[in-house]
Amino acid sequence: MNRNKRETLFRFTLGLIITLIYLIPLYWMVTTSVKPVSEIFHKPPVLFPSSFQIDSYKQIFGLPSSRAEIYINALSYLKNSLIIASITMLLTMIMAVPAAYALSRFRFSGRTPFVLFLLVAQMLPSVLMVIPLFVLFRQWGIINLGFTSVILADTALALPFAIIVLRTSFLQIPVEIEEAAWIDGGSRLQVLTSIILPLVRSGIVAVGVFSFLIAWGEFVFALSFLQNVAMQPVSIGVFQFVGMYKSNFDSMMAFSTIVAIPAVVAFLFLQRQFISGMTAGSVKQ
Amino acid sequence: MASQSSLSTSQNRSLSKKKLTPYYYIFPATLFLTAIMGYPIVYSIFMSFQKYTLTELVSKHPVFNGLQNYQAVLNNPQFLIALKHSLIFTFVSIFFQFLIGLGLAILFSKSFPMSNIMRGFLLSGWQIPSVVTGTIFVWMFNGDYGLVNFLLTSLNIVKEPIGWLTTGNFALTSVILVNIWLGIPFNTILLTAGITGLPEDVFEAATVDGANAWQKLTYMTIPLLKSTIFAVLMLGFIYTLRVFDVIWIMTKGGPGSATEVLPTFAYRLSFISFNFGQSAAVSVIILFILLIAAAFYLKFAILEEN
Repeated sequence: MNRNKRETLFRFTLGLIITLIYLIPLYWMVTTSVKPVSEIFHKPPVLFPSSFQIDSYKQIFGLPSSRAEIYINALSYLKNSLIIASITMLLTMIMAVPAAYALSRFRFSGRTPFVLFLLVAQMLPSVLMVIPLFVLFRQWGIINLGFTSVILADTALALPFAIIVLRTSFLQIPVEIEEAAWIDGGSRLQVLTSIILPLVRSGIVAVGVFSFLIAWGEFVFALSFLQNVAMQPVSIGVFQFVGMYKSNFDSMMAFSTIVAIPAVVAFLFLQRQFISGMTAGSVKQ
Repeated sequence: MASQSSLSTSQNRSLSKKKLTPYYYIFPATLFLTAIMGYPIVYSIFMSFQKYTLTELVSKHPVFNGLQNYQAVLNNPQFLIALKHSLIFTFVSIFFQFLIGLGLAILFSKSFPMSNIMRGFLLSGWQIPSVVTGTIFVWMFNGDYGLVNFLLTSLNIVKEPIGWLTTGNFALTSVILVNIWLGIPFNTILLTAGITGLPEDVFEAATVDGANAWQKLTYMTIPLLKSTIFAVLMLGFIYTLRVFDVIWIMTKGGPGSATEVLPTFAYRLSFISFNFGQSAAVSVIILFILLIAAAFYLKFAILEEN
């Protein structure tokens, strides 16, 4: 018993130290964003801010503050990202739900090749897709057609993973539930939408949020396809900010914090689903 | 007789309709992925055998030029530099990600107070957009006011502040360090899943027989985890070789070509030199390496088990 207690204490202490070290970059991001400027350029660095300011946040949103006006307005980038990520999420789910359902309920020829295709598709780097897509989207005339190019490419990134993860959610629902509903006279599609989907809603929410976050943070496609500043998402906003205001560290970190918030919040709520989802496509079950 | 045969045709019809049902369900996803992913990848293989520059991008009439793109790329000293950096970047990253991930997986394999919360925080690096991660580390590695230099100088590890992102070897070290930070969650999650799946009674028996922690790790945990470890390493290779975002955000492959890797080299050829043909040739080379790794992974980690 005593030995066990010592071991638990050891694990707890080691875990705590490692976690704190791992979180230093995030701590540094948030504290830099609210530090007084004098403490940002202080040698040695101020580890714990003595007071707080939010002028950095006001500055990136173009609100009146003690800072000079800048040419970047976070609001426009956030709005674009919200649109791109929401549509990507919808498009992904519309295609992923039926495909995942088919994989979990039917044995059909071509099933294994389809799964292998998804697994390989999931590994394809966006930097390899961006080069031919840029050429093809130009030929198809959709490179400057609103957010179309980025949404299509982002959906291709999210879809394979979404199908693989949703499939495992469907597999957890016993077939008997469906069979009972068919006997009561529902068609397969009716039963799927009215009985099965509500049962897998936690999986659907997790995969939806995941697709949203892929598009929210996507960088390469947006960098290459969207030349019009008014159309660019937050990833490009932060990137431009770093290029234009190299030493404006508090506003740079304020912008980064804003962009990171959706991901952190989603992760705190959906941690378990994300973890099982990540394992689903990677190692044997 | 007649009624029987009509019954069997209608049965046949409903059977074949049933057989088609799964294909209706997977059709939208298949069509979409073929058009937006499969076709472009095949198209880039064609592009790699064509003269495809800004002129052809406008005229839309590329010309077949055989292996000239490949010859040009392989004779470009930048290619060898990028290849070398890619290998260093990939293997050093994987080595540390894996060791740290394994350590953490073992640490978290038994629950202790707050272990779930801690593990949750340790996974945060995985979900945060890469551009945010890159930007945070640009600031942390800042030569004059960065936190990294402060910690190193105040602990007397270095005497003079280091220009992390502005001097050759240090820039490559910096992006590798960031990538290790990014890769720890992935390694931890998969290895934890593997360890919690191991039979507990075998370990209890070993404890009774007097095996110590190190013996249990080297003689039991690692051999039993063989297939998980293989999967983690292969996926780690695939996911690390393709890293582009953080490098482009932190250094754009510089200074000079100190952090140029194959993906940044391919991107530069397309979107800065506008030589899409040569860029496609580099892409095909990357694709080839990735597909070999993917084939090994799928064969030994996924298919063999079923």
